[in-house]
Amino acid sequence: MANTAPVILVIDDEEAIRDSCTQILLKQNYRVETAEDGSAGLRKIKDLKPEAVIIDLKMPGTSGFEVLESLPRLDPHLIAIVITGYATVDSAVEAMKKGAYDFLPKPFTPEDLRVILARGLERRRLVLEAEALRQEKKALEDSFITMVSHQLRSPLVAVQQYFSVILAGIVGDPGRLQDMIRKASQRLEGLLRLIEDWLNLARIDQGRLVGNMMPVDLRKVLGRVIETLGPSARESSVSLEWEGAAGSAFEVLADEEGLEQVFMNLLHNAVKYNRPQGRVRLELREEKDTAVIEVQDTGIGIAQEHLPFIFDQFFRVSRSADKARQGSGLGLSIVKKIIEAHQGRVEVQSEPGVGTSFIVRLPKRPIGEDRG
Amino acid sequence: MNAKRARILVIDDDPDFREAMTAILESASYEVATACDAADGARKILSGHPDLILLDIMMDSLWDGYSLCHAIRTSKDFNGVRDTPVIFVSAVRQIAGSRFGFKGEDQGLTAPDDYIDKPVKPDDLLARIERVLKK
Repeated sequence: MANTAPVILVIDDEEAIRDSCTQILLKQNYRVETAEDGSAGLRKIKDLKPEAVIIDLKMPGTSGFEVLESLPRLDPHLIAIVITGYATVDSAVEAMKKGAYDFLPKPFTPEDLRVILARGLERRRLVLEAEALRQEKKALEDSFITMVSHQLRSPLVAVQQYFSVILAGIVGDPGRLQDMIRKASQRLEGLLRLIEDWLNLARIDQGRLVGNMMPVDLRKVLGRVIETLGPSARESSVSLEWEGAAGSAFEVLADEEGLEQVFMNLLHNAVKYNRPQGRVRLELREEKDTAVIEVQDTGIGIAQEHLPFIFDQFFRVSRSADKARQGSGLGLSIVKKIIEAHQGRVEVQSEPGVGTSFIVRLPKRPIGEDRG
Repeated sequence: MNAKRARILVIDDDPDFREAMTAILESASYEVATACDAADGARKILSGHPDLILLDIMMDSLWDGYSLCHAIRTSKDFNGVRDTPVIFVSAVRQIAGSRFGFKGEDQGLTAPDDYIDKPVKPDDLLARIERVLKK
């Protein structure tokens, strides 16, 4: 099995120092290498790529300072600890200015060396981790930009393509011509919706939601959503059932527009992904101090393997022929963010071929309680 | 062979693009078949034996346009249709240009007979198709 212990290089012209450092470090289960002068030390740094190096400042030939100066170009993350004789502050300070992590004045105890080295290696680990995270972030940003520009460009290219065909006078049949123009128009509508979704996400990410929290009557909001979706549900022959419609005000502290958006999205999906003569059931109920809103459909359902990703940005389940006219994949990620900004939770349950259920939980606001 | 009666298969995941291509190709009296992804395309190539394939290389799925073209040219599953002319269609110019030629061969990719960018100009597309079919 490979040894992954850190490699420490000791550069000192005095054999006694090399030996005692080696002993101390081996006891800590480090791997140890030594060099007796600056140039040998630099060679070993190149070849062995140690994690830390202990350098004697006063050496004949290539001095400790010269080694220090060469380090940044060899390995900027290498931890350099200098050994200074006679504890002169000046040389220690100069060494630090030249990039040393810390200094060990002679004579030093094993504990002194252990502690400084441990701290130095920990710092190195953190710096490397930060670097890796920065690169990961950049990669994510790049793929985000690619995804967004692809989504924005796609509908426009399609519309341009239709225009190109129409302008070339290729389509003689007026019905077909109308059809093309209508489809081009639909792509543009989809693009507008996409931009709206993006702006929403940006607004939510900026935390702009929290400022607008007020007592909101859930029954009123849900009632409005049901009414708005009524016509399209009828058009798709899907029945809308509303349980919990009756009763007194059901209040939560919320951003009313945000909540309306959430339920419009969930109910719209429930109707869209339903079967003919299917059913959508909206239920509002109370569980202890929580308002529970359940949107249930008798639709195509979602496969088990997709469920964990359903709220992810850009995630779209179906790869059907209609892919290009589908939503942005942002809808459910927006829903989740809005609900979480309300200190709520949203979960999904589904059975392919049977239907899907989205359950939203929001903390209920006790009536009569003062705000703030 | 009368090139004007040729059968062209359009493989693209965008239904509007398929619609537009169908209009262009039919206006030039070609017979048109369409497929919505590489898998569907493969099936229709093998069953329909088209005279030319318009292939979108920007479809996202495990089996993309490049690998389908490579399969057609090299896999024994496509023995009967190995020499079917293929024209790549791309929505992003740089990607189309950089991934074939000598470099492409190294990556196990195969060069198409031609490539064209979206949105396509109808007369440009028809001219390229004619040229490729004459070969």
